[in-house]
Amino acid sequence: MSNLAIVETILRDRRSFFEEIRDGKELGAKMRAMLVSCVAFFALYGAVMGSSHSLWQALSSAGKLPALFLATLMVCAPTLYFFNLIFGSNQSLSQNVVLMLSGITVTAVLLLSFAPVVLFFLLTTSHYQFFKLLNVGVFAISGMVGVGFLSQGMRIVSDAGGRGGEKRRFVVRAWILLYAFVGSQMAWTLRPFIGAPSITGFELFRQLGGNFYANIFASLGEVLGFFMVR
Amino acid sequence: MKTRLEQIINLLTDEIEQRLRQRGLPATAPGARAGEAAPAEQRARPPASSPNHEPRAVPERATAEKEPPSRPLGAPHAARLIVRLALVLVVLIVLVNIPLNRFGTTLATMLPDSSAWVMVDGFVVKEEDDPEIYVFQDGRLRWISSIQAFEAYGWDWGDVHVAEDGYLDGLEIGPPLEVVAKCWNSPHVYLLERGEKRWIRDIETFTSEGYVWEDVRTLDCSYLRSIPDGETIPPGSGPPPRP
Repeated sequence: MSNLAIVETILRDRRSFFEEIRDGKELGAKMRAMLVSCVAFFALYGAVMGSSHSLWQALSSAGKLPALFLATLMVCAPTLYFFNLIFGSNQSLSQNVVLMLSGITVTAVLLLSFAPVVLFFLLTTSHYQFFKLLNVGVFAISGMVGVGFLSQGMRIVSDAGGRGGEKRRFVVRAWILLYAFVGSQMAWTLRPFIGAPSITGFELFRQLGGNFYANIFASLGEVLGFFMVR
Repeated sequence: MKTRLEQIINLLTDEIEQRLRQRGLPATAPGARAGEAAPAEQRARPPASSPNHEPRAVPERATAEKEPPSRPLGAPHAARLIVRLALVLVVLIVLVNIPLNRFGTTLATMLPDSSAWVMVDGFVVKEEDDPEIYVFQDGRLRWISSIQAFEAYGWDWGDVHVAEDGYLDGLEIGPPLEVVAKCWNSPHVYLLERGEKRWIRDIETFTSEGYVWEDVRTLDCSYLRSIPDGETIPPGSGPPPRP
């Protein structure tokens, strides 16, 4: 419960939370609590996604979804830190990571709140492409709110920094785009999360080929009735 | 950049401060000019150096201003709610993943669609790159041995589900689905297999092959005649009779 209490603080009292990050208060404890919370929430959402295929897929997705977000964080964190440094930020890497984790935690909480909806559609519809697009939509909404939260936190924390605040805000916006690209490619690499119903066996990873955006385009085409995805 | 209005207010404030000093009263806090809010404590503090005045009660508003600004008033129940939601989800995930039959069908995979099929008796299926067509019967896949058998059972191509290669791997294979047939005006019975008709010589052979009379389908004579003859059952029983 103490680890989850941080979620309450983030959602209800974000200003104080960001000010504490700015002042470097209890960064380690915050990081640990957010890691525990978001891993648990992502795992639950992953299990819901994978349940559309099999129990093994549910377990696999429960492990892979937290890995997806944390790996994306690790890949992208140095970029944000060093660019901020160049433009006059006086934040430490830990402060940057805690801020990013706060955005990811918000995404995780929103995904958890969407999980009953996704579970409902899992039980009442059977169209694979629709289910895939539904999940992409849920991730897009949760992700946007999450990075919006991160952007807000960066603004509050960086107001205390040196000159170049406007440039640093631009860096954050550009970094969010980079984060989205890295995240989508990471998701493509770690797929499947749902599991194609025509493949009866369990797959931990699928061979590389194609890309995330082409696949979403193809799924949209099938759902809208333009062509069949085989 | 201060506005003109702020400059005027500052001038007025300076004037008031000067007059207050002349009367022996404490001046306003130095930062309390327009656009520079004085700290709440300073504004609320009563003038200590005025012996002629009773100490005034601190106004309630000033006390309220001392409070930290952004603590939320809502009950801290979100974390508890999240825990409950997570527990309910865990239970639901377990429930929807419990296999309901021996093929591992779960609640989550129960609804069929173009590619998520539930195997039931009479389900006709083939793999994409394999010409063989199978029917699912009694928990086993049975190869439909001829197009005649396929048609004799009343199926058409719309009934055939095309799956990806490997879809049928691991399923138990039963005996091939064959058709024994005769035509209306003839007593002779034939086994239709691999696009040929094989004459079954006599009733003893018929029963020894495991067929029963209910298996025999009656077809149109001209259709039966159009099917080329194959090896007789048993082999070497002489030329097959015309249906």
